[in-house]
Amino acid sequence: MAVRSILLYPDPILKQLCTPVMQHDPRVDALIQDLVDTMVAAGHSVGVAAPQIGVSLRVVVVDVSGSKLGKKEQNHGLLTMVNPEIINRTGKKTMREGCMSVPDYTGNVDRAEEIVVQFIDRAGEEQVVRSGGFEAVAIQHEIDHLDGLLFLDRVSSLKTDLFRRKG
Amino acid sequence: MQHFALTIIGRDRPGIVSQVTEALYKLGCNIADSSCSILGGQFAMILIIAHPEFAAKESFGNAFTALEESGLSVFLRTLKPGGEKHAKIEGEICMISVYGADKPGIVYRVTKELGERNVNITDLNTKLIGSDEQPVYVMMLEATLPEGMEPDEMKTIMDAIKDEMKVDISVRAITPVEL
Repeated sequence: MAVRSILLYPDPILKQLCTPVMQHDPRVDALIQDLVDTMVAAGHSVGVAAPQIGVSLRVVVVDVSGSKLGKKEQNHGLLTMVNPEIINRTGKKTMREGCMSVPDYTGNVDRAEEIVVQFIDRAGEEQVVRSGGFEAVAIQHEIDHLDGLLFLDRVSSLKTDLFRRKG
Repeated sequence: MQHFALTIIGRDRPGIVSQVTEALYKLGCNIADSSCSILGGQFAMILIIAHPEFAAKESFGNAFTALEESGLSVFLRTLKPGGEKHAKIEGEICMISVYGADKPGIVYRVTKELGERNVNITDLNTKLIGSDEQPVYVMMLEATLPEGMEPDEMKTIMDAIKDEMKVDISVRAITPVEL
């Protein structure tokens, strides 16, 4: 029920391994609401992870349905994921990623094109969802935050090193 | 703080970067943005640097003499105030690939169209590949389109050059995503 400010690197919370949620109580629901409110308030944001608002718990929200790229593709609308785990990855997709916690910098990142992710939803129910394209990229980016990883840890190529010499 | 642009180029070999940055570190310089790459057999470094007490080129004295003696060419340029900050560039980002049989004027012909339309080139690489008998020229560039221009319009412009120059050109929109 509150828009929280997005923490910026080098805030140490962003590099910590987040703790799994052990009990689905009202505090978790309040955290989810804060994440949704923060994501919506951030305008073009398509996802926020709990450590980005200073909470070191394994909770993320993702919603690509309002974004220019996301609405062109099949997506699940608002996904609220507690203790998410990617149980299968296939394919490869490269996108130029940026992050609200690392302003003014973008980089090309390779991610799985399609994933299957298991999580507990806002109602406390276990879910398994198959996701592809931009939504899958967003989910992978947000789950990385729970492991203390930023897109900077995954940049696959310098901007235009498409034809580095062979040697 | 006064900023300077430092350009260094020399025959590629291991150790150039550490040699240059050691000299800068010992001077007490800060390195802000930099970009370094191999071009042909040369290693080229471009760095924006600053020093808390240096206001003019003269302050560097003969700090780069050792680098020059080791075969590197060094050029230092004093930036005007604010010259270290880039303006916020808004607009669609396009990646343009141009490739084909090598001939004079490929880079000029393509970039002339861009310049005339206020398209801002933010990155450009060219490389001569293929064999001696059949040299192939490859150019990759990234550009920001002026407000109101769509990537499709850029495609149309490039299609015309494609036929005229007999080269292959493709244009892709790049949408950076903030997650």
